[in-house]
This record gives sequence, C-alpha cells and structure tokens, in this order.
Amino acid sequence: MIVAIENGRRQLGPGVVFYCERLEVPEGAHIALWGPSGCGKSTLLNILSGLLRADSGAVIVDGMDLQTLNEGQLDRFRGEHLGFVFQTFNLLAPFTALQNVMLGMRFSDTIPAKEWKPRATALLERVGLKHRLHSKPNTMSVGEQQRVAIARALANRQKLIVADEPTGSLDPKTSKTVMDLLLEMCQEQKVTLLLVTHDRAIADRLPMQFDCSGLVKEETA
Amino acid sequence: MSLWHIAWSYLWNRKLTTVLTIVSVALAVALISSVLTLREETRKRFEEEGQAFDLVVGAKGSPLQLVLSSVYFMDTPTGNIPYTEFEHLKNDAEYVKAAFPINMGDSYQGFRIIGTIPELFGHKWVSPVSGEERAPFQLAQGRYFETSFQAVLGALVARQTGLKPGDTFVSTHGFIAGLPEGLGGHSHANMPYTVVGIMKPSSSPYDRAIFCSLESVWQAHQHGPGEHHEEHGQEHAEENEGEHAHHHEGAAEEEEAAYQEWSARPESMVTAVLLQLQSPALRFQYREIIREQTSVMAAIPINEIATFYDQFLGTAKLILLAVGYLVVVISALSILIGLYLSILQRKRDMAIMRALGASSYEIFGSVLIEAFWVTVLGIAAGWLAGGLVSFGLGQYLAWRFGLAITAFGITNEHIAAFSAVALVGLLAGILPAWQAYHSDVAHDLADR
Repeated sequence: MIVAIENGRRQLGPGVVFYCERLEVPEGAHIALWGPSGCGKSTLLNILSGLLRADSGAVIVDGMDLQTLNEGQLDRFRGEHLGFVFQTFNLLAPFTALQNVMLGMRFSDTIPAKEWKPRATALLERVGLKHRLHSKPNTMSVGEQQRVAIARALANRQKLIVADEPTGSLDPKTSKTVMDLLLEMCQEQKVTLLLVTHDRAIADRLPMQFDCSGLVKEETA
Repeated sequence: MSLWHIAWSYLWNRKLTTVLTIVSVALAVALISSVLTLREETRKRFEEEGQAFDLVVGAKGSPLQLVLSSVYFMDTPTGNIPYTEFEHLKNDAEYVKAAFPINMGDSYQGFRIIGTIPELFGHKWVSPVSGEERAPFQLAQGRYFETSFQAVLGALVARQTGLKPGDTFVSTHGFIAGLPEGLGGHSHANMPYTVVGIMKPSSSPYDRAIFCSLESVWQAHQHGPGEHHEEHGQEHAEENEGEHAHHHEGAAEEEEAAYQEWSARPESMVTAVLLQLQSPALRFQYREIIREQTSVMAAIPINEIATFYDQFLGTAKLILLAVGYLVVVISALSILIGLYLSILQRKRDMAIMRALGASSYEIFGSVLIEAFWVTVLGIAAGWLAGGLVSFGLGQYLAWRFGLAITAFGITNEHIAAFSAVALVGLLAGILPAWQAYHSDVAHDLADR
C-alpha cells in the first residue's frame, strides 16, 4: 500500500471532529475521494499529504509514518514524494511556466540542478505547452495554467499525486481535456492518484472511489 | 534558481512598491552620505589650506574672522595694521622663516584683489592630509606681476570673468560678490589693472583671488575717490594710451623706488601678515610673544578652523545626521510595512512553496533576502545620490570659496553608517519573515 490511514482523528473545532477509520490505496491506483462539500475530503487529503497532522491514529504514505516526522522532515517529504494539483492552479505569479515547473524541483534533492531546465521543458512540451515556456501565468488561459500545474506535480518523479478539485475552476470542455491529460500522465508515469472531487461524474472516471461522507461529524459526549 | 533569484522575482513583480521603498531608503542614505562627505571633505580642505601658514597676524578682533578673511578670503578683515609691523615680523629671524603681507579692500566681479609681495608666489608647504607638497601659486599663462596695477588671476577668476593676459579691468571698492562691473561700491575707474598672468587651478581659495602688488592697493586708496582717482586716473589713462610700453621699460627700478616710497609712508597699512615660522612647534609660543609685546593679534589658522568645525559645524553635522538617521528609521518602517503587506498578499504563494517542499527556513530566508535587496539597493542608490548632491554643493563651494572636494569618497564613517542602515533594513525584514515562517500552510492553501 502506498497510502494507509487507520483510525486517523483530528479535532477541527469545539465538538467537531474528523475521523477516518481506514483507507488503503495500492501503489499505482487512481482513486477518487468524493463527497459533498464539508464532508471532510479535503481534510483527509491534507492529512495524507502532511499539511495537517492527525491528533491520533496512523498515517503511512510511501512507507513513511507521517506522525513521526517533524516540520522540516514533512517539508522534505512533500517535496520528494508528493505532487499537488489544486483547484485554483496555484502557480506563482512572478515566474514563467518553465520556472514554475523548475520550482517543483528546486525544493527537493530528487532531480540534479543541471536537469531542472531540460526536464521542465520536456514536461511542458508533453502537456502541450511548448509555445508557452516563458509565459507568465497571468497571460495564460485557465486550462493552460492547470496543465502547467500537472507538469509541476510530476517534476520530481513523485509516486503520488494529490489533486484537490483539479477541474473545479474549469469549463466543461476544458475540464474534460485536463482530466484526460491528468489520467493519461499518471498512467504513463505509473503514479498513484488521489483525486478529491464533489462531482460524482468525475469520480466515476476513476477505477476506485472512496466515499468521504461522514468523515466530519459532531462529537457526542 | 536560488533563494536570491526567488526573492528578486517577487520584488520585481511589485516594481512600483519596491522602487518607492528603495527610494525612501536612498533618500535617507543620500542625506547621511552627503553630510558625511561634505563635512569630511571640507574639513580636509580647510585643514590643508589652514596649514599653509603657521600664524596670521592682523588687527585685534575675532581670531576666526582674521583667519577666514586672510587665509580663506571668506570674511571681512578685522582691520588694518601698520606696514612697519610686517617689517618687524619679517626681521625676527629667530622665529620667522618667511612673512607675507596682504592687503585687501577692492574686488572685481566679487573676486577679491589681494595686494602682496611676489615672494608669496614661491611659498610651498607639505599637506598634512595628503602628505604631498602644495604649491598653489603656479602659473598657467603669462608671468607674475612686476609693477603696480598688474594682476595675476586665480584659475577660477580667469574662467569666470574670461579675462586673459593683456586684458584690463577696473576694480570696485569693497567685496560685494556677484555684482556686475560698475555696481556695488564705487569703482576705481581710472586705475585699471592689466592682467599679466593666470595661475593653474589649485583647488584652494587662491583660485578665486586676484593678486597684485601692495602699492597697487595703497595707490588706489591713498586719497578720497573723488580727488585722487581723478588725478591718478589721468596718469593711468595716459599710460593706457601709451600702451604701457614706457612703463615696462626699466619698470623694476621704478617700481622698487615706488615701493620704497609708499612703504616708507607712516600711513601705509596692510590687512594682515601671513607667517611661516622656523618650526610649526613655535606657533603657540610666538603667538604669545606677539600678544604680549605688540598691539596686533596673532591667530593659528589650523586651530581656529578646528575650533570652528568642532563648535559650529560639529553641531550642524550632528543635527543633520540625526535627521538622516530619523529618515532611516522611517525608511525601515516603510520596508517593514511594504514587506509585511506583501507577505499578507503572498500567504498563498508561501503555502504553495511549502507544499512544493520549501522549508520554513527557506521561506524565512527568502523574505529576509527581499529586505536585504531593498536595503542594499537603497544604500547604493543613496550613496550615488549623496555623491551627486556633494558634487553639486562641491561646485558651489569651489565657486564660492575655492575649495574643491571629492564627491564620491567612502570613509570609515560612511561604512559605519551604511552598515547601520543595512542592519536596520534587515531588522525591518525580520517581522514579515517571522510571519511567513509561521504560516499555516493548509489554512493558507484553503483560503480562496
């Protein structure tokens, strides 16, 4: 299993708790974490990516027990093991498409510095943005920005991509194109995909689904 | 893609704010830098010229006024002393190595006409500042004066007035600067001077002086302007018509005779006597001797200037530096506010970088580097602007007082001041950097 959480629990507020009894994801699987807004799917994703800590329980990702890592180790873990694709793309405005992808490699030691540029260029060419290498995000369409984000998520040869509503800001046509590309790239790179969505139709495109309904609940005394 | 590059990219991404912050730092640094430069450079130049003579002797009054008027040609003289005092001092070989009388009273277009003896042109001394020999009376064109109403111009006088050897000009009574010929005090219209030489630039007060013989000044002022000028003027007018030729033939003998005649008159006075002693160590002793044994006053130029700097300019410097450092604090606040607001706007960017694997330390460092860039660029721009201000004021000082200064110098005081500014700038970056360091990544990423 590349991802496993067991009895993961986190207090979200007074009387509100996140609790996930068990989730196991085999290496190379593509799984949709779906459910209505506020059900706890993003909290689950944040705990699995080390952005939030569980108060208790076991969280194992790519063989690492995230509960035992300190902040610095978690930062390094994210850089080396995880690729993120966000709903709002989250490209860094001062940098070009090429630089945004290179930044994905800058903060980990996975790829030697001399390979940053050729690898970033190859990835952007692969997602169809050969002509946009030196464009800033604010000059690109939303579809192009999300393709840059996908290239960045794969920059460090990560084994796991976490995508939080990756098509949430896109029109239906662009949404389909981006989803096709994401699935294709994950398939091609043999990467495990955890995709958070509230859209059942999108969830159904993935071979595995995990229903997040009820992960966040009122705590009973 | 280093943290320096990342920090620079964020600064470049908000150019206007960055430039304004840099400008505010630069203004503070320019003020501090120019105050330090001007203070240090003018002090050096004043001290250099102050060492030209060991003592200056003149009429009783303010010693500083005597020094400023006689050595720097900046103030009105304290009065006149009998010519016999000069002779008495000159002959005191036990203490005095050389004595040079100077006589003032007239000017041309604001430049003082200094009556003196030709021996002054051979005067040299070693600068305590540069350690080099100073010889400011070297000719660029023509020759030194030999007879009355022949003038040797300082380099600045020649440049400003356009006079060249062979030209004539008419002096004006008094030292009213900047007025055209004929305005200000009454003119000695019938006693024109003839330019015979122009000196090389010396970056000293002598650049803005016109030198002539002592008797030229005596002759010009011996009688009331109405009576003497007319009769004497007639002589000069005739002289001009005669192309000065006959005057120059056997002039030395005639002049010597005239000099003897004028200097022998009991009413002949000089404005001051500049003394070079047998040793600078005798300055205090000989000043006391003059004070006790004569009715005139002696002042040590370098001491008067040092006191002037400490008491007056020292306070002015402190006030200006205080203002400068106050502006530094305000600039530091603008760095702090600018960076803090930038961090608030970029919380999501910071969170993205953390998600990409950046450590808290790298985020902290990149923000601190932004503060560093702003501060260092502000210091560099400020030093340049301060240099330009010093250059501009230096031009004025050169024109007004004949003191040329180096505008773009860096002293230990500059380095200390710039280090203080850099430290304050970095301190201003710490709070925003700390804010970035402690960001809540998951919260900031979710904050849409």
